Amino acid sequence: MSEKFELSGEQTHQEGQINQDELILQQQRQIQQEISESTPLVGELESISSLNAEYSSDEVYLQKIKDLASKYKFVRRTRPDGNCFFRGFSYGYIEKLLSNKDEFKTFYTLAENSKSSLVELGFPQFTVEDFYDTFMEVLKRISDMPTLEESKRELHQLFNEQGYSDYMVVYLRLLTSGQLQREKDFYSCFIEGDRTVIDFCHQEVEPMYKESDHIHIMAACSAMNTGVRVVYMDRGNNKQVTEHDLPEGSTPYVHLLYRPGHYDILYPN
Amino acid sequence: MAGMSPSERRLQKELMSLMKEPPPGVSVDVDLAEQNLLQWIVHMEGVAGTLYEGESFQLQFKFTNKYPFDSPEVTFIGNNIPVHPHVYSNGHICLSILTDDWSPALSVQSVCLSIVSMLSSCKEKKRPSDNAFYVKTCSKNPKKTKWWYHDDSV
Repeated sequence: MSEKFELSGEQTHQEGQINQDELILQQQRQIQQEISESTPLVGELESISSLNAEYSSDEVYLQKIKDLASKYKFVRRTRPDGNCFFRGFSYGYIEKLLSNKDEFKTFYTLAENSKSSLVELGFPQFTVEDFYDTFMEVLKRISDMPTLEESKRELHQLFNEQGYSDYMVVYLRLLTSGQLQREKDFYSCFIEGDRTVIDFCHQEVEPMYKESDHIHIMAACSAMNTGVRVVYMDRGNNKQVTEHDLPEGSTPYVHLLYRPGHYDILYPN
Repeated sequence: MAGMSPSERRLQKELMSLMKEPPPGVSVDVDLAEQNLLQWIVHMEGVAGTLYEGESFQLQFKFTNKYPFDSPEVTFIGNNIPVHPHVYSNGHICLSILTDDWSPALSVQSVCLSIVSMLSSCKEKKRPSDNAFYVKTCSKNPKKTKWWYHDDSV
């Protein structure tokens, strides 16, 4: 990362555009704020049929929700702030690990060793440390709880405190970026245009609020040594939802609902 | 460091590191930063062998209590603003990591390194083509400009 290359560029303004800038940014901030205020970072469990309310007269979606309900019991919504994949995935993964002490321990060890491997890749020790420390603190606080129920409550509480939740998101973004860079020959095939894997990481993975695509999911799963099933629900004509296991052929451990632009957590029957 | 907010803790840590191991040609005004952790002045020397050899510059860093999630506001100040295609005469800098591509894993140090490298790779000292118009109409805070990054060759 010491040779970080950024786009810097001559910046052009069309006549009359400048005064618009502040207005556009102000409006974006306002929209952002409204979203933030109306959705918790990670919500409570809700029944699959609670999704119906969003599509009251949309037959395509209603049909698909019916299909979804035959496979899944609950959905847990995440805040649509561009971090939803990272937040939802880490929440879902840690929550599932809690019910198996051995698996949790294996993951804890993997997480413990992750800082040094990021530093070896050239990430600055000193900023990585900040996020790593909080990540480990959260894992420790959750696993120190005497019962599974209390652990889950602690997880939910910490993931809804911005100070902890966003640190978890940043650290997972860094782990994902590290994985992409470690296997850059493989991942370069998935990047459109002439951007390098490093550029892609600096522009689309490491910054907060940048949305996630297949490539982020594959790398995040690899970094955490797990698999995700993404269930697609869109306006496409088929009557059923479409399932994708990432990385291909892996056993799904976490299930996510994808609707264009957004991920929520799913709980199988 | 008890009683500090997370952003203050992080800034304090960065300040110590920048004091102890500053990148070549970069130094932070420690006294000023210690008086107010949310506003720093960084001195920067033009690198030998580049168009800016022998010149010195001052950068102002302003932070909010949401740092490092919010990017710092970084501008050149003082009477020597580098003449560069991405630096406006009012000190505003067009650099994507200061807005769109900012990441909490970046730091004052990495911003300084990027600016040093941006200056060092310059082949012709000139102002951005829309300098006069921009300087007249822009907001005081460069983060309020919706930048359009289209040239990564300089």
